[in-house]
Amino acid sequence: MVAIDPTLLNVLLIAISGTLICAAVHFIPVGGAPAAMAQATGIGTGTVELAAGSGLVGLITASYMYANEPTAPVYLVMAAGAMGSMVMLASTMLAGGLIYAYGVAVPFASAQVKKDPITGQRQDNFISKGTQGQGIPTICFVSGIIGAALGGIGGALIYYVLVGIYSPLITTSAAAVAGVFTMGVFYVNAVIPSYGVGGTIEGFHDPKFRRVIGKDVLTSFVVSLICGVVAVMIAGGMVA
Amino acid sequence: MVLDLTMSMAILALLGALATIAGCLEDLESDVGSQSNPNSQVQLAPQMNFLHRIYNKAISGEPISNGLSAVTGGVITSVLLSANFYPLTAIVIGAFIAAVIYGIYATTAYAGRVASQTRFKQPLYMDIMRYTTPSIIGHNFIVNFCLVAIAYIQYVILGYPFTIPFLALIWGISVGAIGSSVGDVHYGGEREFQNREFGCGLNTALSGRIVRRAESGLRNSIDNVWFCAKFGGPATGIGLGLTVFFSSWPTTIWGYTWTAIIVGFVIVAVMMILNRLVEIQVKNAYGPYKEEKTEKGVEA
Amino acid sequence: MSDVKEISSNKLLAFGIIGGLLGIYLTYILPALGTQIGGQAESFLTVISPTFGALGAMCSVVWGAEAVRRVSKYGLGTGVPSIGQIAMGMGIVAAMFGLAIVKTMLIAGPIVALVTASVIGLIIGWFAQNVIKMKIPVMIRCMTEIAAAGALVIIGFSASVAGNFDFLGSIIPLVFDNGVMLAVFWVGAVALLHPFNACLGPDEKQKRLLYLAVSTGAITMVIMGIAALVTLGASGAITLVLGIILWVISYKKFWDEVYKDSSAVVGTGLIPKTEA
Repeated sequence: MVAIDPTLLNVLLIAISGTLICAAVHFIPVGGAPAAMAQATGIGTGTVELAAGSGLVGLITASYMYANEPTAPVYLVMAAGAMGSMVMLASTMLAGGLIYAYGVAVPFASAQVKKDPITGQRQDNFISKGTQGQGIPTICFVSGIIGAALGGIGGALIYYVLVGIYSPLITTSAAAVAGVFTMGVFYVNAVIPSYGVGGTIEGFHDPKFRRVIGKDVLTSFVVSLICGVVAVMIAGGMVA
Repeated sequence: MVLDLTMSMAILALLGALATIAGCLEDLESDVGSQSNPNSQVQLAPQMNFLHRIYNKAISGEPISNGLSAVTGGVITSVLLSANFYPLTAIVIGAFIAAVIYGIYATTAYAGRVASQTRFKQPLYMDIMRYTTPSIIGHNFIVNFCLVAIAYIQYVILGYPFTIPFLALIWGISVGAIGSSVGDVHYGGEREFQNREFGCGLNTALSGRIVRRAESGLRNSIDNVWFCAKFGGPATGIGLGLTVFFSSWPTTIWGYTWTAIIVGFVIVAVMMILNRLVEIQVKNAYGPYKEEKTEKGVEA
Repeated sequence: MSDVKEISSNKLLAFGIIGGLLGIYLTYILPALGTQIGGQAESFLTVISPTFGALGAMCSVVWGAEAVRRVSKYGLGTGVPSIGQIAMGMGIVAAMFGLAIVKTMLIAGPIVALVTASVIGLIIGWFAQNVIKMKIPVMIRCMTEIAAAGALVIIGFSASVAGNFDFLGSIIPLVFDNGVMLAVFWVGAVALLHPFNACLGPDEKQKRLLYLAVSTGAITMVIMGIAALVTLGASGAITLVLGIILWVISYKKFWDEVYKDSSAVVGTGLIPKTEA
């Protein structure tokens, strides 16, 4: 393997993590305000907040893992982040599914595909009149889990890289500074795809997914690259 | 601090219980103040000439507003803790002040939104303002208390690297996201349109036609929260409780190893299967909408 | 659109930048002036200087809220809150960068942060307009303004808690370590985006929005004052009391506008008859 300058490697890793967070937002099935009224498929909340919420829970689990096992390999920290994020989104989707099933009493149906790719069941005759689908069918659930995993990995990776850069310089405060910076990058990278997606997306089976993911990922990569450069230069400013 | 397994599990159970209460109360607070996505219908109603007596609170979405009150509670609690207050007192006072600040934001939101609907002749009812705002403050106080308590336990006893305000903020965002995804569906899909046919999604043609004249009198937000407390609230509590519990349980039992991570993935797979089972059961129990097949609703 | 003349966006931009920078720099200049004069005046100036950071941040809050209003009036599609979040995300990255990188020349920190935030905001606004194709005419300018306002809000409130804007010496131990930076980030973000979100509607008036912006800024100042009680002591008390006074005044003025703007403010009543 070609020996890459560690600083450049750090910048690239931060850029990649930001891009992962952006990609994650496209996978998570969000229906926006209509979904909260059982008018559209997906979770009834906003894209930014759900992605950010699950990613930040992943950050908590990853940082706890890293704090207790400082020698952990980066893959373990990333997996811990993915696990926390996936657990949150799975719990949310399951509880939401219970409400759709028994509180509003609607069958789950996607409006974007004729048959669910995973279970093979027909969707269109389960869509109620005047709506664009409702509930969280299996394909959306799976898509959401994948998205949560990507978001958790992205957040954990940024945190890992930043703690690695800042610990030698400001030992005790490294976690705090790295955490705040991660949150900032998180929100920037979660809002960019929400502009591209326009507020609602059903997951990777949605035709909108292929249309928008390219330009969103490009924007996110550029912005995260800038954030990576900024992060490394901040470290330069910390050498007292 | 290093804890033996029994103590760790006890603390984890306590965290799960606090999270369940926080989740439940958060959703009820967003129902008594009509926040987030269902509020778009409340906002739309005057435009369609359906004037109402519902508290139109719009503090920009639940994750943000719950994050706001949680982080405020966390900061005030930290300040009191460094002044050597007893932890429980510090958490209670911090949660209370944060809830009062949240109530102030709520009043500005209701007043501001109604004042911007002048042309639809929607009145600003001061009695709604007067008796619903303390209810909002009360619900929010319990949410803050639980979230700051979770943050305190995680920071002081379990040794998480992030400080109390940071942890409180993240849990505040999470409880808001979960409340917005789970409980708000019960409010928006069911209670707001309770006079419509049960068992279907909201027809787009019905947007804005919320229930304003209720069983005996005019509907207000206190009626709404009474209803949602029967299902929406507890379901949200289950959502957050599962999240807090299962995100820490594998590492408590199996340590910081790959085994714990695999167990976490297995838990997620189990939830996926549960969702599939619910989906199958519901499809079989309700059947397709035979009389309105195919044409409507499939255009993307 | 209304018969009341609105304050122009350029005036508010100048107010935000000049007010913000003035407040931030006073936190640095006043103690330095104090050491020159010495004696009683020195301790007095050191105690009152952090409050100016919060006041400067409040000017930026008003500026930012106006910028949010301008871009959100076009209908962002995903809601007002996301723009507040992205502003603070950019603001915090730029603020940390600007303050950290100027190790020897501390005084240049806020200006560097302001310029960096504007550049990042410009880039994101450009991408949003041309790559993601959002088609909002004022997107690029408003995104730049919001990012810059976010950076000034963060630096101003952090300075009011830390005493000055020395990144390694004051801000990391006093603002990051105890978690107050999260409150600056989040409460500051809400202060920027709440005014427009709370006044959303066809009859939204700028005057009411600006009073609400001052009010949310004052609440943030109160929270910063409480935090500063631990980090700075007496300065925190001054920030806290001044915040409460400013809040009372602006909240009362906000309610005056509400009474003026609403179609009816009633003690109680049935739903009025309309032609539904």
